[in-house]
Amino acid sequence: MEKALAPTTILVAALGGEGGSVLADWIVASAIRFGLPAQSTSVPGVAQRTGATSYYIELLPQPAPAGLEPVFALVPIAGRVDVVVSSELLESGRLLERGFISPDRTTFISSSSRVLTTMEKMQMGDGRFDNERIHDTARELAKNYIHLDLEKLAQDNGTIISATMFGALAGAGAFPWERSVCEEVIREGGRGIKQSLAGFAAAFDAVQNAQAEGVAEAPAPQASTGPAPDAPSSFADLPADVRDLINHGLARTIDYQDEDYGELFLERMRALVSAAPPASDPLVAHALGEAARRLALWMAYEDIPRVADLKTRGDRFARIREEAEMQPDQLLRVYEYLKPGAEEIADMLPKAWGERIMKRLDAGKGLPFTGRGLALSTTSISGYYMMRAMARFGRIRRRSLRFHHEQEAIGLWLDAMAKALPRSPDFAGALAELPRLRKGYGETQARGRKNYNAVFDTIVAPAIASGSEAASAAWLRKAVGAALADPESEKLAGALANGAPSPQSMAAQ
Amino acid sequence: MEVSFSKEIESLKLGDGETFHGEGILAVTKALLQAGVTYVGGYQGAPVSHLLDVMVQAKDLMGELGVHVEPCTNEASAAAMLGASIMYPVRGAVTWKSIVGTNVASDALSNLASPGVMGGALIVVGEDYGEGASVIQERTHAFAMKSAMWLVDPRPNLTTITNMVEKSFELSEASNAPVIMELRIRACHVRGSFKTKNNVAPKISARQLQEEPAEFLYQRLAHPPVTYGQEKLKYDVRVPAARKFITDNRLNELFDGSHKDVGIIVQGGLYNGLIRALQEIGMADAFGQTDIPILALNVVYPLVPEEISSFAAGKQAILILEEGQPEFIEHEIGTILRRADINTKIVGKDVLPMSGEYNSEVILGGLTKFAKEYLPDVADKGEAYAGEVASLRGKAAQNMKGPLPPRPPGFCIGCPERPVFAALKLAQKDVGKVHISTDIGCHALATFEPFSFGNSILGYGMSMASGAGVAGFSARRPIAIMGDGGFWHNGLLSGVTSALLNERDRVLVIMKNGYTSATGTQEVISSPEDDRKTRAEGESATGSELTIEKTLNGLGVPWLRTVHTYRVSEMKAALKEAITTPTKGLKVIVAEGECQLERQRRIRPIRARNLAAGKTVMRTRYGVDEDTCTGDHSCIRLSGCPTLTVKTATDPLKSDPVAHVLNGCVGCGLCGENAHAATLCPSFYRAEIVSNPGWFDRTLARLRKALTGAA
Repeated sequence: MEKALAPTTILVAALGGEGGSVLADWIVASAIRFGLPAQSTSVPGVAQRTGATSYYIELLPQPAPAGLEPVFALVPIAGRVDVVVSSELLESGRLLERGFISPDRTTFISSSSRVLTTMEKMQMGDGRFDNERIHDTARELAKNYIHLDLEKLAQDNGTIISATMFGALAGAGAFPWERSVCEEVIREGGRGIKQSLAGFAAAFDAVQNAQAEGVAEAPAPQASTGPAPDAPSSFADLPADVRDLINHGLARTIDYQDEDYGELFLERMRALVSAAPPASDPLVAHALGEAARRLALWMAYEDIPRVADLKTRGDRFARIREEAEMQPDQLLRVYEYLKPGAEEIADMLPKAWGERIMKRLDAGKGLPFTGRGLALSTTSISGYYMMRAMARFGRIRRRSLRFHHEQEAIGLWLDAMAKALPRSPDFAGALAELPRLRKGYGETQARGRKNYNAVFDTIVAPAIASGSEAASAAWLRKAVGAALADPESEKLAGALANGAPSPQSMAAQ
Repeated sequence: MEVSFSKEIESLKLGDGETFHGEGILAVTKALLQAGVTYVGGYQGAPVSHLLDVMVQAKDLMGELGVHVEPCTNEASAAAMLGASIMYPVRGAVTWKSIVGTNVASDALSNLASPGVMGGALIVVGEDYGEGASVIQERTHAFAMKSAMWLVDPRPNLTTITNMVEKSFELSEASNAPVIMELRIRACHVRGSFKTKNNVAPKISARQLQEEPAEFLYQRLAHPPVTYGQEKLKYDVRVPAARKFITDNRLNELFDGSHKDVGIIVQGGLYNGLIRALQEIGMADAFGQTDIPILALNVVYPLVPEEISSFAAGKQAILILEEGQPEFIEHEIGTILRRADINTKIVGKDVLPMSGEYNSEVILGGLTKFAKEYLPDVADKGEAYAGEVASLRGKAAQNMKGPLPPRPPGFCIGCPERPVFAALKLAQKDVGKVHISTDIGCHALATFEPFSFGNSILGYGMSMASGAGVAGFSARRPIAIMGDGGFWHNGLLSGVTSALLNERDRVLVIMKNGYTSATGTQEVISSPEDDRKTRAEGESATGSELTIEKTLNGLGVPWLRTVHTYRVSEMKAALKEAITTPTKGLKVIVAEGECQLERQRRIRPIRARNLAAGKTVMRTRYGVDEDTCTGDHSCIRLSGCPTLTVKTATDPLKSDPVAHVLNGCVGCGLCGENAHAATLCPSFYRAEIVSNPGWFDRTLARLRKALTGAA
C-alpha cells in the first residue's frame, strides 16, 4: 500500500456571492494543469443568499502511480486540513470552533475584514463580536497564522475576494506549483482577468512580505480624534484619556451652540471633578470620562436646527462623494428623508409656543404640514436654503421647549453624579452611562426617555436618597444593559422588577 | 436564470475518449445524453437544479439529438412524465430535490411503479440530507421500498456516477421497474473528471417520431383489477430480475482486504468518507486499498441476499454504514443472515448515530468502537484522534469566550421581498400580532433575524392551506405568505381554491417576483417575457405581467390588491386593511417587485453600454449621515440588508457603532421608505450620482454650487 502518500487538503470558507466556487475551480484547474489529480466539493445550497458556505479541495502532491486512482474525501475532517483560507474573520472563528485548525499542520490564512451578521448589527448598542478573541485563538491553534485585509486588497484592485484569496494561498506556499501556473489559469477565465491578476499579485506579495517580516498586518491606525481645544488647567490632574474626552466635549458644545455653551460644559465638568475623589482611582477616572462623553452628547442633542445645520455643511458633501467613490466629473444630487413630527416642531420653538402646540396635540389635534414624509434635496437651491433657515432656529435654542426640558433633566443627573462620585465611584460609573438610553428620534427617542426615567426613578433616586449607591451599582448596570437589549423594553421591565439588591447586601454597606 | 452554462454546454458535446471536467450533477446530464435518453423533466431545487438548467440552455444540442426537455411546474408533473416509458421503449429521466420532491411526486410514482416500465425510467434525486440541507431530514429509501423502485447510491466519483446512470437504465429495462439514483449534496457539487463517450440520439424522439400510439393494454394501467397482478409481478418477477442484473453486472463492488474475519458494508455514497476514516487508523491508503474487506453497495435496494451472505459468511463481525433512519439496510441484512443461519455479528446503529450526516469523523467514531471489539490494535488511533479533536475544539471554545453569532442566509441586497416584511412588522405594531403561515421560497428567509416571522411551514405552496385550521379559532385574521413559485407549484389549488370553495375569511400575500428565485431564478408561467423585460429596463418587469391577478380574478377572489413592494407605507396600509376589513371572504395582496438578481443582471449591461457610449447615466445609492445617527439601529431591525451595516463612529464621543451604507447598495429605496413609514430618523439620504452629465446638468450644478457652496 502507498500509505505514506496522503492528499493535500484545502478548505475555503466564504460567504455567498464572493466567488468561492471560482476559487475552488482555479485551484483544481491549476492542479490538473500541473499534472496532479484533484477534486473539489461544496455545499452552496441556500448559503448562496449571503449565508456562510465552504469549499473543500483535495489534491495529490504527486501524480498517482500507474493503475491507481486516488479516492478523495468530500468532507473535510477536523484536525486534518493542511491549508485553510477564509474570506471573513468571524467565519475564521467558526472554523476554529469546529476544530479544523491544527497546530500540527494548518496554515491558516484569514481575511481580517468583517461582514457583520444581522444579529450583531441589529442590537441597540454594540453587538459586534470581539475580533481579538478570534485572532488570539487563531494564533494559538494554527501552525502558521496569516491575517490581512483580503477584501480591501480586492477592492483596491477592482476585483472580488476570490482573486486575493488565491494570491494569498499561492503566496503562503500552499500549492506545490509555481505562481505562474495560477496566473495562467486565471488568464483562461472569462471576465475581469486583468483585475483578478492584479488582486492575485497584491495578495501574493502582501503574504510574502508579511512572512518575511514576521507580521502579517500593521496594527490599524487609531481613529483620528480631530482637533480639539485644550482643556483648561483645572483638569490637569486627570488622566490623559479623560482630558481628551473633556476636550472633545468642549469642542462639540461650542460647535453645537457657542463659546458660552462650551463654558457651561466645562463648568459642569469642573463641578463633577471637584465632587469626585482623586482620579488616580480608575473607577473615578472611568466615571468622569464617561460623564464627559455623555454630558457633551446630551448637551448637543439632535433637534431640527442641529440636523439641518449638519446636513448643509460643505464637508458633508465631500464625505458623500468619497463614500460613493465618485469621480470628479460626476454630479451629485442629495435628497434627505425627513418626516418632522409636530412634537419636533414644538421642541424647537420658544417654550410658551411649544407648550401650546403640545396642548393641541394632547387634545388629539395635529399641526398642518407635519407627519408627512419629505424627500428634500439639499443640493437644490430651494432645498438648501430651506434647510439653512431651519438651522437658524438654533440661535433661539436656549429659549426653546426642548432645551428647557433637557437642561432640567441634565441638572438632575449631574446632581446625582456629584452625590454618587464620592460615595461610590462604581455606581457613578454606571450612572454616567445612563444617558446612553436617550437616543434616536421620534418614537425611539420617546421610548429612550421613558426608559431613562424609569431607571432613574426606580434605581438612581432611591439609591442616592438612602446612600445605598454601592449596593445598587450592579443593578443599575444590569438595567442599562437590559434597556439596550430589546426595543420592546421587556427585559428592562424584568430587570427593574427583579433586580433590587437584597436587604442583607444593603445592610452590609 | 441565475447561472449561465455556456462553457458547460460545450462539455456536454464531448465524444469518445475525451475527458469531462466539471460538476457531478452536470456529469449526470452528460451521462443521460450518452445513454440515449428521449425525454428529460424535473423541478428545480438544490442540489440538482443544474441538471435541467443546463439542458434548458442547451437548446441547440437537444434539438440536434431530438431530446425533449421539460422543466415542469412541480415534481408530480415531472414524475407523471415517466408514464411515457410504460408503453414505449424510450428512456426518460426526471429530477428533483428529495425528500420533499419525492413526497409531491409520490402519487404519480406509485402509479408508475405498479404497471412497471418498458423503456428505462430514471429518477435522479438530490438527497438533501446533512450539512447544508434545506429540507426535513428523511430518506428517499422508504419510497423506493414501498413502491418497488430500485435505489442506486453510487460511489461519489464521476466515473462511477456516470457509469451507474447508464447501468440504471439497463437495470430498469431488465426488470421493468423505475430506478431512483440518490445523490447527496456534495456528490452533486463534486468537481472531478471522467472519460466521456459519444452522445446517442434516441431511436424514438422529437426527430424520429412514433407514427402510431401504443396499443391498448389494460394490464399496463394502474387500475383494478390488474393492480393485484402488478403487485405480484413486483415481487415474483421484477425483484428477481433486478437481483440477477445487479449480480451479473457486478453493480456492487467488493474491495478485499487482509483482515478477513471482519468486513464493512457501506452505501456507495459513503464510500469515500469511509476510506478517509480508514486512512486515519492506518487501514487504507489514498487510493482506497484497504486492509478491511469492504462491500460497497451502489444499489442499496433491493439487496442481493447471496451477495450479502457470501460476504458475511465466515466473518466474526460486519459493520454496516447506513446514513439516516430508520436503518432499513441493516434490518434487511439481519433478516438475510438469519434466514441463511449465518451467525456473523452485525454492528451498525448501535455504534453509530441514528440521525445526521455520516462524515468521516462520525464514521471514524463508529469504526473506533467497532475496532475496540474486533481490531483492538487499531482502536487506539481512533481514540487518539477523537481526543485530539476534542482538545482543539475545547481550546477554541475557551478562547472565544462564548458562542459566535450565527450567519443564516438572508435576503439579497435590494431584495423586493424585504420591504414586505418591514411593512408587516409596522402593520403588526398597529393591529397587533397575527398568526403567520409561511412557505418555502426566498421569503422564508424572513424567519431569520431581524424579522423572525412565521408560525408554521408545512411545505411548498402549503401556507394558505396550513392556516385553514388556525383561522377557525383565531380572534385576529391569520395571514399566509407564499411566493409565486409556491403559488404555481401547489398553492393555487391546495390553498386558494380551497379557501374560495369554503368561502373562508382569509388573508394571502403572494410575492410576485417573477421567478422561482431561491432555486436559481427559473421561470414560472407568470415570468415576464423578454420583450417586457426589454421595455422595463431598470424598472420592475413584473409590474405589467398580470397572469396571477387574472387567474385570481377568474376564480372570483372578492378582494384583490396589487402593491409594489418597495412602497412600504402602501403595503402597510394594505396589510392593515386586509387584516381588519369587515369584507368577508378571501383577501389577496399581490406583492409585486421583480427579483433583484434578475433586475440587476439586466441593468448592468445596459448601464455599461450607456456609460461606454458617453450617455448620461444615473446611479442611486442610499447613505446615513453619521453625525446625526445616534446608534440605535432601528433601521437595521426593519431591514437586514447586507449593505446596511454598522461601523465604529468617527466621532470619538460616540461609543456605540453608527449605521452605515456600503457601496454595494443598489439604491432599491427601502431605506428611504422605512425612514418615512416608521418615522425612523433624519439620517438617511439618497444620493443620485450622474455620470457623463449633459450641458444643462453641468450648468445647473455650477449655479447651485455658486449659490449654496454645497455638493
